Amino acid sequence: MAVEYRPKIVGFLCNWCSYAGADMAGTSRMSYPPNIRVIRVPCSGRVEPLLVAKCFQQGADGVLISGCHPGDCHYTEGNYHARRRFALLHSFLDYLGIARERLRVEWVSASEGQRFTQIVSDFTRELAELGPRSEG
Amino acid sequence: MNLLMSRDDLIHWLELLMRERILLAPTRVQGLLLFQPVSKVEDIAFDFDNTTLPPKGWFLPPTETLFSVRRGDGHTELVPATVEREAVIFGVRPCDAKGIALMDNPFLEEPGDTVYGERRARTALIGLSCRQAMPECFCTSMGSAPDDPSHVDILLTEVEDGYIVRAVTEKGKALLPQGLAEGEAVLPAPPKPQAVPAEGMVSAMRDLFSEPYWELLADRCLHCNVCAYVCPTCYCFDMRDYPDKGNIERVRSWESCQSPGFTRLAGGYNPRATKGARLRQRFYHKLLYFPEQFQDIACVGCGRCVKACPVNIDIREVISDLQQLGAKSGS
Amino acid sequence: MDSELIQQIQNQARDLLESGAVKGIIGYERASDGLTARPFFAYEPSAVERLIFDETCTHNLVKYLLDKKNEKMAIVVKPCDSRAINLLLNEEQIKRDMVFIIGVYCPGVVETAWNRKGQTQQARCQTCELLKPVVYDFLAGQEPVRRPEAELYSDILEMEAKPVAAKRAFWVEHFGHCIRCYACRQVCPGCYCPECFAEQLDPSWVGIRIAPKENELWQAIRTFHLVGRCIGCNECERVCPVDIPLSLLNRKLEKEVKELFAFEAGLSPEEQPPFATFKKEEKLGLEE
Repeated sequence: MAVEYRPKIVGFLCNWCSYAGADMAGTSRMSYPPNIRVIRVPCSGRVEPLLVAKCFQQGADGVLISGCHPGDCHYTEGNYHARRRFALLHSFLDYLGIARERLRVEWVSASEGQRFTQIVSDFTRELAELGPRSEG
Repeated sequence: MNLLMSRDDLIHWLELLMRERILLAPTRVQGLLLFQPVSKVEDIAFDFDNTTLPPKGWFLPPTETLFSVRRGDGHTELVPATVEREAVIFGVRPCDAKGIALMDNPFLEEPGDTVYGERRARTALIGLSCRQAMPECFCTSMGSAPDDPSHVDILLTEVEDGYIVRAVTEKGKALLPQGLAEGEAVLPAPPKPQAVPAEGMVSAMRDLFSEPYWELLADRCLHCNVCAYVCPTCYCFDMRDYPDKGNIERVRSWESCQSPGFTRLAGGYNPRATKGARLRQRFYHKLLYFPEQFQDIACVGCGRCVKACPVNIDIREVISDLQQLGAKSGS
Repeated sequence: MDSELIQQIQNQARDLLESGAVKGIIGYERASDGLTARPFFAYEPSAVERLIFDETCTHNLVKYLLDKKNEKMAIVVKPCDSRAINLLLNEEQIKRDMVFIIGVYCPGVVETAWNRKGQTQQARCQTCELLKPVVYDFLAGQEPVRRPEAELYSDILEMEAKPVAAKRAFWVEHFGHCIRCYACRQVCPGCYCPECFAEQLDPSWVGIRIAPKENELWQAIRTFHLVGRCIGCNECERVCPVDIPLSLLNRKLEKEVKELFAFEAGLSPEEQPPFATFKKEEKLGLEE
């Protein structure tokens, strides 16, 4: 019996905004697909390409990085650095043969639980269509 | 009278071998020449000088699992490494074959590395004499020769319309195809690689350990691992246990004494912290310690390090420098 | 070989050594093949006659300055190499008054390997706009004739245009050959971390396994650690024993940095590297 492909998503959520937003989705009993595995980080600026690449190496089909909206970073400027970093990482991963759609960078605030569920649903659906990562 | 094999005979024989065994042969891959398992004779590069990496990688792979420990259902099981079925390596130059024989010293000495030993026992070497010496070759100065049969199971020497075939070992004899013709073909004179006078070098080295020569030579050394990895006789490795969901895998991978952290100890102290100390170790191991322990120089004169070193640290120059230094200090 | 250029280098080197202004000269001499060049360290005035400079002097010697931080050294640099000096000055790895820079007007260099000398200029020389070093204390040679123009990123564009699966297959093949000799890292002036991420054991990001997945992680992240820092000397590609096309990786990021941030590394020691800075209102394609 063939194993059904279920996308594996690793989500790096910043503690102050995005993780709180995801938490709000939970406390409000909003539904979203269970494919995402959440890793809480202090700030989206803490996320480095090494972590993203390691996720893909270990079998992730997609990686989500979510932080405070630019201008609202709890540490003032962490997400500005993240923004620069990940603007480049998209096209670099694509160049290495990892489709750029597999990396998603979003800005989700603590009150945007609904938006978080939407992002995860959309991302899961897109990855299901894209196929498992080993095939590109 | 010599046993002869035509080019067609060789191809048929290799096709037979690859059906029953793993056949490794030089193949052209993206401009490199690598020993790889082949499933079609068309993939074999018959016309080559020498490969980018030596065949030592079959016996000591860049990475291998030595054993695993599996845990489950209240019991713990040691799962040994699987060693592949019978293999044949075709196209081994005499220098590289000597390299493997030199590696046998540390790996097969009692109690012996079982993984290496099994692979060695299950692998036959079909040697190929060299038709020409490359500018970097100096095998005759290091105890080998372009037509040296000493360390292969079968040695093929190219002649006008085929190969002269010499079975060197019982294993080789058993591997040969039936019905080979005998002929009057004469063994051609081997090519003459450049000579690197090495007399007195080993004894000279005993007194040169503290010479400033080593730090000066190491000025341009980058401390990468290229020389050790392309060398047929280098065999240093690292070992780590990697956990994976309750199981453990013991992994062995290539490492080299040139790496800055190679001798770094827990706590941070490094007995070979300087570039000169590390570079000196390379030459001392190959040209003094190994000969003292195993009565043979750990260099086969293949010249790969000469070609591959990004900054042209040339072992032939070092040997010549050491002799001069030795002469000066009167040893 | 331009004998007047070599004479200028040798004279300058001799003066510096005789006056005791520097401890040693880092330059080039003839390699053991009698054809190409290799790095050479001269500590005595009598040794300067071994210094050469010609089209085989492709090596970037700036990495060696990091081994000689405690002594004032002179170094021979081409324009590309000199960008590495600015990088190290910018990142405060070397002090300006600890290095005497013998800059060379460079008409371009050829591909070299041991006993092999290319006939045409390297691709990177064909697109280089620097005729003289960006920082120097002494300038040797004469302004060269403008080199032929070539399209700067044609090979990168070609790679970008391939479908994702083809790009994957390309890199899987090449990274499969990597033997983790780390020659690329050791030769690179931008790679000087006392403990490289690849050698961290706790956590073991890469580990000791020399296998395709680990190799890819190594290569991808080393490249990314050089983003906005790589000065394009191409030494990494030259030294690789298994011919991995590393310039296709580094120059891809160089192109992105140029397009997104209008930045090139090493042109000035006071530049603001793109990943140490940001602009609040910039649009980089990651807006909501």
